[in-house]
Amino acid sequence: MYTVEIKNLVKTFDKAKAIDNLSLNIEKGKITGLIGADGSGKTTLIRLIIGLLVGDEGEITTLGLNPVTQKEELNYKIGYMPQKFGLYEDLTVIENLRLYADLKNEPYDFDKLLEFTVLSSFQNRLAGALSGGMKQKLGLACTLIGTPDFLLLDEPSVGVDPISRRDLMKMVRDLISPQTTVLWSTAYLDEAHSFDTTIVLDKGKVIYEGKPHDLAPTAQEFENKIIDLMGGYKKEKSLIAENYIPIKTNLSCTVEADNLEKKYGDFYAVRNNSFCINRGEIFGLLGPNGAGKSTSFKMMCGLTKPGGGTARIMGIDILKDPAKARSNLGYMAQKFSLYGSLTVRQNLEFFASAYGINFLNRTKRVDEIIDVFGFGAVQNRLSEDLPLGFKQRLSMACALIHNPPILFLDEPTSGVDVVTRRDFWNHITSLAKKGVTILVTTHFMDEAEYCDRISLFYKGETIAIGTPDELKQKANANNMEETFITLIKESEL
Amino acid sequence: MKVLKSLVKKEFLQIIRDPSSIIIAFVLPLISILIYMYGINLDSVKVRIGIKNDDANPEIATLVKSFGHSKYVNSVVYDNIRDITGGIEASKLKGAVIIPNDFSTRLSRGQSADLLIITDGSDVNTANYVQSYAMSIANQWLMSSKYKYLAQTAGITPEIRTWYNQDLNSHYFILPGSIAITMTLIGILLTALVVAREWERGTMEAILSTKVRKIDIVLGKYIPYFVLGMMSMMFNVFICVGVFRIPFRGSLVVLFGVSSLFLFTSLGIGLVISSKLKNQFLASQVSLGIGFLPALMLSGLMFPINSMPVIFQILTRILPPRYFITFIESEFMAGTVWEIVIINSIFLSVLGLILFGAVYQSTDMRLVK
Repeated sequence: MYTVEIKNLVKTFDKAKAIDNLSLNIEKGKITGLIGADGSGKTTLIRLIIGLLVGDEGEITTLGLNPVTQKEELNYKIGYMPQKFGLYEDLTVIENLRLYADLKNEPYDFDKLLEFTVLSSFQNRLAGALSGGMKQKLGLACTLIGTPDFLLLDEPSVGVDPISRRDLMKMVRDLISPQTTVLWSTAYLDEAHSFDTTIVLDKGKVIYEGKPHDLAPTAQEFENKIIDLMGGYKKEKSLIAENYIPIKTNLSCTVEADNLEKKYGDFYAVRNNSFCINRGEIFGLLGPNGAGKSTSFKMMCGLTKPGGGTARIMGIDILKDPAKARSNLGYMAQKFSLYGSLTVRQNLEFFASAYGINFLNRTKRVDEIIDVFGFGAVQNRLSEDLPLGFKQRLSMACALIHNPPILFLDEPTSGVDVVTRRDFWNHITSLAKKGVTILVTTHFMDEAEYCDRISLFYKGETIAIGTPDELKQKANANNMEETFITLIKESEL
Repeated sequence: MKVLKSLVKKEFLQIIRDPSSIIIAFVLPLISILIYMYGINLDSVKVRIGIKNDDANPEIATLVKSFGHSKYVNSVVYDNIRDITGGIEASKLKGAVIIPNDFSTRLSRGQSADLLIITDGSDVNTANYVQSYAMSIANQWLMSSKYKYLAQTAGITPEIRTWYNQDLNSHYFILPGSIAITMTLIGILLTALVVAREWERGTMEAILSTKVRKIDIVLGKYIPYFVLGMMSMMFNVFICVGVFRIPFRGSLVVLFGVSSLFLFTSLGIGLVISSKLKNQFLASQVSLGIGFLPALMLSGLMFPINSMPVIFQILTRILPPRYFITFIESEFMAGTVWEIVIINSIFLSVLGLILFGAVYQSTDMRLVK
């Protein structure tokens, strides 16, 4: 029995084929993982399956219905969680649940959902005021109302910490019936490895369909196999690092946080945060959503005024001379914060001038960066039209354009496919070797292994600091994910 | 029905929590009324003019005095022509009246006497006011002076009476007209953002995969903003009539009945813009462009439609504010005139229904991209 049957599907956007003659079956009662590089057509495929988009050629049958002509009937049977989760941020938790129950014509029976999401005590909180992990859980709860026959989740775990990801997975597994089919698109390959079936998309085509365990017995090997399927990743010398001109300094601490503190009302977002990062060190800031990582980041680069304490960048106090301190800094924000309506080249030119690169050197520098980052083919495209991985790369390029000795990267790899992630970390580690000091946050625990030192952050405070091996030893765990979960749980006690 | 009820409730919750809709519905009209009340005035109240009297005859001093008593001009007596010229050049004076030294002599002889009226032609409107005020003051003086036998020879003296707005107070028609402008703006602005917002935040995508039908989405937007818009209308009328004492001679039932038809058209324009553009920023820009400016310029409030080029006259026929302004001005100043009420209501209903159809048409139940 198949929930979805697709034959020779084609979908074109502005002459570019998003789905290219794709045929595929999705088995009933199974959890199917959908993986693929950015822009490989995952979201488009999901939208086609439920009739939110209409294909140009080919046939789709979903739950025995034609999504083009029978969309309304189909809507009765599915639960779909889009990438932005579809929550009304100005409604409370319970109001969102009630709204979706009404829209699906279901009774108000949320006890089980609230229990699973641990949102019972936050029922009257506005959805917009929830942390990232809680929003995702609420989004999933709204999708699960009315026990749909077919659940479609479009990257539900982007930007979510390992603990929340486990919760999310558990929720789905516990709340669906054995007959429910799940299509789950994800960038986390360990997640995909735990599913029943895997579909790997590349340029709108299926390049692998089968059981993940047939491909590789462990998640780590699975990742390598997937990378091979996607054309492989050849580690090359990082041109970005090659082109970096090191800046000499005698400072032992190029980045220093000195008792940073931030209070919102009675609530400490960050408290007693002190650390010192050495030149050329990769320092990872890890912690669950809402732990205060981004707040710390913003204070360190002078975007938010600290409630107490200060930070020093290359020895310059961020409170005393913020402009000078910042000129030593390349900052890549969590959200895409470039100009969507400017082209790739125009964005780079803008940031070059904003960082004070004079007119004569600007064109040369922009050409150089375009070359090094491989933007040649897309340099005249609007940045908002780029796939996520390219956007992230462009953000990094803009952060590096003025050759800063320090880089702040806030979840640089969130939502980025595995090959692009490897490429990213190759650049990051190579830059560090050239003497760039790097402060980075991530939710990918395998990435934490690249860090020289890690500060584990929870409820606004540092609960552990050390090399990845030291932390693993401390938690008595084999990998970073376990370490993370154990240390957080211990600190709760 | 349950779906629609739930969507309406959701929209109300969002309205309550989002201060911007409240600001649009209540603060914006207040500001607008205050501007029209105190900032814009089409009457030329008390223009300042200079007077120089070269005639020493005491009888002529009463003419100077009647300029001083006029409620339309504020006259300042000068001895010296240079000061008058200087005053006009510095825009301190809007004009001047100069009485020549042979003025009374010529009048006594039964000859026609000259009076020099200087006006500032750089401001044509005011120049006309100064001219006509000065002439009428002079004529009135003549009638009551000992030379009145001279005026009688002129035959019929017209007596002017302005109907509906005896005091010629422009606030009496500007303020009701401003209600029409604010209602256009409110109707369009309130709705222009709301559909686009759902697309931008991704909630539309989630809703489209539930049991909602197209009509639910459309009505789910019309109903809440209709209620809010009518509340705003009541607030507007209260401020005009209750606070600023603008005379209202019509019937409240008729006023709100026709207003609801008008609101129906405005909401439609906003919803079409929003559903088509799916982008809040663009939608707000466009709604100012298509909503506010034509309502202000082409509705007949500021500039009479009859004096517009023909092409613009034709264009005004598809503008809802045109019909509403005609109606609301007459409802306020002349009371309910059924002919005006019915004709304008028909036009508004037709436009409203066409727009509703357009909203329904442009509401997408699928993603385009």
